[in-house]
Amino acid sequence: MIPISVQSCLSFALLVFLLLPSGRLPQRYRALLLIGVLLVGMVPLPGGLSLAGYLRGLTDELSITAMLWLLAGAALRLGWTGGRSASATWQLWSVFAVLGVVLYPASMGVGMLDTYSWGYSPRSLIVLIGALTLALLLLGNWLGVFMLTLATLAFTLDIKASENYWDYLIDPFVALFAIAMLLGNAVGAMRRWRRGALTPVPQLDDGLD
Amino acid sequence: MAAWFAGSREGAADVDIRGARFDAVTGTWGEERVLVTREMTRRAIGKPIRKLGNPVIAFSPDERLWLFYVSVSVGGWAGSAVNAMVSDDLGVTWSKPRQLVTTPFVNISTLVRSAPVFHEDGSIGVPVYHEFLGKFPEYLYLDAQGRVVDKFRIADGTNSLQPTVVPLDGKRAVALLRHAGREGHVLATVTEDAGRTWQPEWPVAPWNPNTSLAAVRSGSGSLLVAQNNLLDGRFNLSLDEATNNLTEWSLVASLDASPDPDGKPFPRVRYEELMRKKFLDSSGTSRQQLLTGYLREIDQRMCHDGMCDFEYEYPYMIRATDGRYHLVYAWNNSFIKHVAFNDAWLEAQL
Repeated sequence: MIPISVQSCLSFALLVFLLLPSGRLPQRYRALLLIGVLLVGMVPLPGGLSLAGYLRGLTDELSITAMLWLLAGAALRLGWTGGRSASATWQLWSVFAVLGVVLYPASMGVGMLDTYSWGYSPRSLIVLIGALTLALLLLGNWLGVFMLTLATLAFTLDIKASENYWDYLIDPFVALFAIAMLLGNAVGAMRRWRRGALTPVPQLDDGLD
Repeated sequence: MAAWFAGSREGAADVDIRGARFDAVTGTWGEERVLVTREMTRRAIGKPIRKLGNPVIAFSPDERLWLFYVSVSVGGWAGSAVNAMVSDDLGVTWSKPRQLVTTPFVNISTLVRSAPVFHEDGSIGVPVYHEFLGKFPEYLYLDAQGRVVDKFRIADGTNSLQPTVVPLDGKRAVALLRHAGREGHVLATVTEDAGRTWQPEWPVAPWNPNTSLAAVRSGSGSLLVAQNNLLDGRFNLSLDEATNNLTEWSLVASLDASPDPDGKPFPRVRYEELMRKKFLDSSGTSRQQLLTGYLREIDQRMCHDGMCDFEYEYPYMIRATDGRYHLVYAWNNSFIKHVAFNDAWLEAQL
C-alpha cells in the first residue's frame, strides 16, 4: 500500500460525495454514503495506489479554501447547515474569480510578471487577503472569512508541501468553478433581463383619472 | 558521478534514472546502476507516474550530491514536475524522492535540464523551464534543504527553454537558452542581481536548431559552450568559446560529428561500419560487447527506411575543483559519452 495524505483522502471523498446524486437519499444515509466513499478512496488497488492517490495524480493537492468549500457543500448536503444567501455566494465566486485571474495567466507565462512568486514572500499578499477578509466580515460572509482565515493560518503552520501562500489560497478548480458560476449566472441574469425588457409592460389607460 | 535516463525509448514505461561513478585517478567509469525508478517515485510521492526524464546531478559546496529529475503523472512532458533527491555519502545512498511545488496549476509544467548554481549563502539556483502553454525559462531558488523559496522569470513567451546559467561573479550571470523553433539562434540574457531580474533575451551568433546546450566559465574567464551550432539536425557537437559579453565566438573543437559534413543519413550497412569505427576509437575494444547490443537495436533508435543518422546531443558540462572540464552527452541515442579536458588542451586548440 502506498500511503497518501489525509488531505488527498478527504478531497476524494468530498468530491465524489458531492458529485453523486444523493438528493433522494434520506439525510441519515447520506452521512453513511460519505463515510463509504472515504473508505473506498483509501482502499489500495493492485499496484498499491488508492483511488484517492490516482485522483491526486490529476489534481495535485487541493488548496485549503477548496477543501473548506467542499466541506461546506458536504455539510449543506448532509443538512448540517442551511443554504447561503445568493449575495454571499456571488461574493465568494467574485473573490476567487478575481484571485484566479490575477494568478493564473501571469503564472503560465503571459508577460514577465509572475504573480505566483508573490506567494513566496507574501507579506503584501497577506495584507491584501486580510483586507479582503475584513470586507467579507463586514458583509457578513462567514464562509468566506473562514476560508481565507484558515488558509492563512494553514500557511503560517506550513501544513502543505508547498512553500507558496497561493497554494493555500486557491487552486485551478476553485478558480475555474468560480469563473464558470459567475459567467453562467451572469448570462442567465442577462437573459432574464432581456426577456423582461422585451415583454410589453401593461400601460395605464390615457383617460384614467 | 553522471546521471542519465535510460530505457527502450524516451518516455517509455521502462525508463529509469541511472548513474555511474567516475574514478578520476584511474580515469575509468564504474558500473551503471539505477538511481531511481518510476515505482520508487510513485511510492515516495503517492501519485501515479507515467514516465521519468531529464536527470541533473550536481555536487554542492557542503559536499552533498543533489539529483533533480522530472516525472509526469498525466499527459506528455508539458505535465512534468521536478523531483529532488539528495545523498550525503557521495551517491552510495539517496533520500526518497520529493516533489517540488513550482507552479499553481496542479504543479505541472516545470522541467529541469541544466546544472544548478550553488550560491554563497547556501541556497541553490535551479534553472528550469515551462512548456505547457508557453515555452519559457525560470530560475528557482531552493534553500539548503531543497525547499523552493522563490522563483524568477528569465524570459516569457513561447520561444525559449532549457536555460544554462553561468555565474560571472557574486551577482552577475549569463543564461544561454535553447531556441524553441526552427532556424533560430541561441538566445542569451544577463542578470545583475543574482537571478532576480533578467534583461530581455537576445539572439547571439551561434545557430541553434532547437537543441539543448551546456556552458561553463573557463579558467581564463571566457565562456565555453557545448552545442549543436547548426541550422538543422544534431549531427555535430562543437565546443565553442565566447567572450563574457557574447559578442565574439570562436570554435574550439568539433567534439563529435557525422562523417557527412551536411549530416546526410547513411545506408544501414555503411552506417554500421562507421559507427563501429567511431565507437571503438573512443571506447576501445574492451566495450565491444556494448556495441554489438547497440547495433541490434539500431533500427528503432537511429534509422528510418534503411537510412541512419548520427546524433550528438544534450550536453552537460562542469568544471571540477581541480580545473578539469568534464562534458557528457547523448551519443547516438544509446550511449553516454564522457570527454574530459583541461586549460592546456583548450589553449592548444585556439
